[in-house]
Amino acid sequence: MCDRVMSKRSKDDALPQASEREVQLAELTFRREESRAMGGPEAIERQHLNNRLTVRERITELTDSGSFREVGTLAGTGKYDENNRLVSVTPAPYVAGLAKIEGRPVALGGEDFTVRGGTTFGSTRRKGGQGGFVEDLAFHYRIPLINLIDGAGGSVTSIKRRGHSVFPGVHGFERSVQLLGVVPVASAVLGTAAGGPAGRAILSHFSVMIRDSSQIFAAGPPVVKRSLGQVIDKSDLGGAKVAVDTAGSVHNAADTEKEAFEQIRRFLSFMPSNVWELPPVTASTDPVDRCEELLASIIPEKRTQAYNMHRLVNAVVDQDSTFEIQPTFGKAVITTLARLDGRPVGIIANNPRVYGGAMDAKAARKQIHFMELCDTFHIPLIFFVDVPGFLVGKKAEEEGTLREGMRAVYVAGNLKVPTLTLVIRKCYGMAGMGTCNKNGVDLKLAWPSAEWGSLPVEGGVAAAFRKEIMAATDPVAKEKEIEAEFKPYASPFRTAEAFSVEEIIDPRETRPVLCEFIALAERRLRAELGPRSRCGVAP
Amino acid sequence: MAKTELMSPVTGTVWKIERSVGDRVEEGESVLILESMKMEIPLEATVSGVIAEITVEESASVEEDQVLCVIES
Repeated sequence: MCDRVMSKRSKDDALPQASEREVQLAELTFRREESRAMGGPEAIERQHLNNRLTVRERITELTDSGSFREVGTLAGTGKYDENNRLVSVTPAPYVAGLAKIEGRPVALGGEDFTVRGGTTFGSTRRKGGQGGFVEDLAFHYRIPLINLIDGAGGSVTSIKRRGHSVFPGVHGFERSVQLLGVVPVASAVLGTAAGGPAGRAILSHFSVMIRDSSQIFAAGPPVVKRSLGQVIDKSDLGGAKVAVDTAGSVHNAADTEKEAFEQIRRFLSFMPSNVWELPPVTASTDPVDRCEELLASIIPEKRTQAYNMHRLVNAVVDQDSTFEIQPTFGKAVITTLARLDGRPVGIIANNPRVYGGAMDAKAARKQIHFMELCDTFHIPLIFFVDVPGFLVGKKAEEEGTLREGMRAVYVAGNLKVPTLTLVIRKCYGMAGMGTCNKNGVDLKLAWPSAEWGSLPVEGGVAAAFRKEIMAATDPVAKEKEIEAEFKPYASPFRTAEAFSVEEIIDPRETRPVLCEFIALAERRLRAELGPRSRCGVAP
Repeated sequence: MAKTELMSPVTGTVWKIERSVGDRVEEGESVLILESMKMEIPLEATVSGVIAEITVEESASVEEDQVLCVIES
């Protein structure tokens, strides 16, 4: 900001007198310039030296060219001289407004770190963050909200200014919570986020952070040191390695801010503007009847050999249409948005390369979020099933695999969105139950390589016939003999014969079959638009 | 020369080492096979290049995210 006296010219000035209207317009121009100057050239340079864009650069990078309609441009703190003439304005440390992404409107805003590190500016009314006006814009106009987070939350200095401390929850998360049921919310963590802004990032349908330059935590290193005596660097405490890969607090990581914005645009391309609309269908150039020869041989003959589930999914969906959510967390399950003949679908695929696809607590949490996301925004779900069960062992029990896994079963049981179940190989036990939606038509398709049951014949026989096996002269041979006796009954064709699975398909037909059922789901989706009611107590 | 580390996706054991230091591998080719939860899990090269290091031996126990191989490309 540059100091400049803005006022009516005095009568003594030699210049011709400006009209009242001209003066007003000049003041508006000056105030706008002050706002666009943010925290000044030095603060902007510091932001750039930290490899970070300014909030205004971020908005330009993220949204359609020239589409930004700022709201609250003039909010800030004015400096006036002794004659009450405006000298300068320090803008509010938050820039907000409306813009378009791929031609569709969004509300968005972000902290301006160049102004007082993005903390509050002392107005009783907030532009952004939790309870900020930008949330009202998204809610009122029923459009997605994007949070560009670069702030560390409340400052203790505000106590003195106000004369009292603020109760947590007054100007709280109530609107943020409400938004999660009605419009898509995406957040990018672009700096160091703690406290309120960190919480705001979590209350999102999709969140992304920058791998080497952003951090997120409940509280930063100084608080950790004072509370626990631990000395820890902010990247070790809340860098992407912890927040994305280990904790799953933030969904995805990006290498650069530009890539983070691409991810947000990609995420929103699958989402309707709100829960009263259908997700956007795009034109697809990939033929609906494309039969992939690869799929006939992708499953190894030996049932203990893992294969590449990413490759399998990619061969079925529209070419280059996938957008994976949480690719580095809970890797035993793959959750990816994709398209089938241009229609958005949510794919939940077990990954046999990670613990044989067994569901652990992290994979369950990831699957739950993804199911709720797709259910809320009317995106049909397809399960690509190859799950041997819940992960077993002491560590798995300590991590609450049973409870988290059953929560996944519970959430799957409450889905309203149409779902399809395609069993690729294994579908066993309770984890297998979490791959169907019993409320709908419950259509279960399978490949000939499928096998299912309460538990596999191998191992299952040893448990059920322990006495008989132990009593035999050759227990190993006896076990093999009983297994051989049971094996034919495990064939998926026997189950299809009994109409306990609706259809067994040639793997090569997978794309045409899925495209057909997903197209068919549209009438049902249309009939069930609106917010999802949540009831009951999740385990 | 960029170095790329291949990390174990699982906790388990090394079942079979298929390639040697100095071998050229293409992206997607298997370097070694792990065993975990009774499944054979190939560790595939994420880039094409030359194997600079294999940090484990057959039947060794490995932890999730442990570096098992380094590829120079």
